[in-house]
Amino acid sequence: MSSMRAASSCTNGQTGCHFLSLANLFDRVIQHSARMHGISNDLHSEFELYFLPSKNQIGRVSRNCHTSTILTPNGKENAQRIAREELTEVILKLLVAWREPLWHFHQNMAQHHEFNNFSSNKSLEMSDMVHELRRGVQKVVEKMQMLGVISSSLGNLASPEALLASDRAEWRLMNDYDLLYCFRRDSNKIQNYLKILKCRIVPEHRC
Amino acid sequence: MRTHLGLVMLCVMSAAGVCSSTSAPESPRQFDCRSREKETFSCWWEPGSDGGLPTEYRLFYEIEKGVRECPDYVSAGENSCFFDKRHTSFWAEYIMMVVATNALGNASAQFQIPDVMNYVKPDPPVNVTVVVNSSAPSPFLEIRWKSPPNVDVRTGWVTPKYELRVKQNDSKEWKVIDIGAQTFFNFHNVEHGLLYMVQVRCNLDYGKWSEWSNTIFAKIPKHHQLEKYFWIFVFVFSLIPLLTAMYILVLKRKVVKQCLLPPVPGPKIKGVDVHLLKSGQSEDVVNALTGNQNFPPMAAWTEQVEDFLLVSDSDEWLLTDTFASEEKKDIFIIPASLHLGLEIQCGDSTVDLNTWEKTDDSKEETKSNFLNTEPINLPIEKQECLSGEEVSIQPNTSYVDIQQRPTLTDYSRVKEVNGDTILILNEEEIPHGSDAVKVKREVSVPDDYSRVKEVNSDVVFLEKGDSKPIMPHDSELSKGFCSKMIANGYVDSVPSFSVK
Repeated sequence: MSSMRAASSCTNGQTGCHFLSLANLFDRVIQHSARMHGISNDLHSEFELYFLPSKNQIGRVSRNCHTSTILTPNGKENAQRIAREELTEVILKLLVAWREPLWHFHQNMAQHHEFNNFSSNKSLEMSDMVHELRRGVQKVVEKMQMLGVISSSLGNLASPEALLASDRAEWRLMNDYDLLYCFRRDSNKIQNYLKILKCRIVPEHRC
Repeated sequence: MRTHLGLVMLCVMSAAGVCSSTSAPESPRQFDCRSREKETFSCWWEPGSDGGLPTEYRLFYEIEKGVRECPDYVSAGENSCFFDKRHTSFWAEYIMMVVATNALGNASAQFQIPDVMNYVKPDPPVNVTVVVNSSAPSPFLEIRWKSPPNVDVRTGWVTPKYELRVKQNDSKEWKVIDIGAQTFFNFHNVEHGLLYMVQVRCNLDYGKWSEWSNTIFAKIPKHHQLEKYFWIFVFVFSLIPLLTAMYILVLKRKVVKQCLLPPVPGPKIKGVDVHLLKSGQSEDVVNALTGNQNFPPMAAWTEQVEDFLLVSDSDEWLLTDTFASEEKKDIFIIPASLHLGLEIQCGDSTVDLNTWEKTDDSKEETKSNFLNTEPINLPIEKQECLSGEEVSIQPNTSYVDIQQRPTLTDYSRVKEVNGDTILILNEEEIPHGSDAVKVKREVSVPDDYSRVKEVNSDVVFLEKGDSKPIMPHDSELSKGFCSKMIANGYVDSVPSFSVK
């Protein structure tokens, strides 16, 4: 992670200080998400070497990611149009949805010795990151709620798992390659949504 | 009939020939898309053979639900489709179908775009400027650029990252530098007089790299080196007159010294010759300084002298200390008969004698008449004056035992030296050794009774005459005056001190 200015360095002015630390928190989670996306990209490329799927395949290859049920904005305009709370909720839902699948994926990687240690370490790192990022985003949300930036209607943050409880089994049907493809896409979504959210809330800070 | 049939056949065959040269189009080949700013994208296909007939191409795409047709065939050029913002969806799969249609049929091909994000390739950076910064200590290139204009950085949707490459004009290898998100860079690895080429490119969110920007040329000027040489040249040449000046100064230092530091004029006292002062003829010096004044009569001192000079309680020890007091008070005021050399040699001992006086206030002591009577702490070299003698001083007893050469008449004691008279005490007269300064001296007086002035019981008054006949050679005096004098028994030449 790049160096983050310590929030404690801010000593004067309550409101300005808090906004400064909120911007720093955003920077940190954005960088975290960028790294996570980078790793998922690397792993996906490595898997392509093994599976060699042809590009521009004729015929639809259905890749039903288990997160397809989560409605996500598909572009810049849409991401800017929806409410802040909604955007934040989408991010959290995505992060929650990937916690368990990535953990199992890593377990599979560790058992299958045809994958080298490099890939195995990356899968572990990826699995840890999604967990850490979710905690980071939750902190950002708490701060935003404290500052009154977003309403406190996001009361069900503690249990987004409840929303996906019924979907929990879906990811088991995916093969590893599809899982990596789906996660690469979702990690890109998370990264972009976080950036949009930051520049909507603290636009003066490097936007 | 047959000709009719033949013609028809010919016509049919020719028609068939025409038809065989035209056919339904081939399906398009190669499909590629590109998004320049992560908001819109365009796709291109390569058409197959058109079958000789005008062929129309249409594109249909399916995204999630429903099939739609390409909204814009024109903006992106021939055989292309441009998707504007409304029609662009990221993280969504596009199924593209291109249909080629002509009069004789159609053909189609399907292409899959799993995620438009994979096709993001921005335009190269713009406004690339390279400025040569010639400041010390070495020049460098200040490279600045701007992100492509269609990229939206403000909303955070896009984060461009840059890469830069530099090479010398005649070199083949580029030096590639990863910049990050900033839009400037200072390149330091440049040399004077060379021409450099600079290019910049960017990518968006780890997508594909853009093309390299236009090449910017920058030449590092040469003249700075010349400027450096110029200053070295000036420096060296300015050193030469400086060195020359110093050389002249050293050679003619006396002249310079006289010029800068004129000699201080010597004292101009009437009757005093400066050179005389230097050569050290004491009499002349004294005369010069004092102006040949006559000193007050010696008698005026005696009273004071008598106060000081007492070696013991007895009256026998009445050593005139005219000389002593004189010596004590003013070392330089001595009778003309005395040689100044003595003073100069042994003069420093007087200081110690003075101190010795002070320490022994309680006792009435007479220090040795010998100038060279010294406290014990005097260094040995000061006893040179007493070369012929041994002086043992016992400060506690203040007993100065002076042994002289036995060659001369032994006068054990000198009682008093009064002006030009010498009182010599007999040895037996000394009551006790503790307070007495035993002086044994030999005076050549017996050899020259002309000097005896008066004899009173055990006191022999000597007339102090001109010391010169008695005194040894002048040269000897200057060296070992004390000893000689003592040897001759010329007591009064030696200062005597008494302490009360």
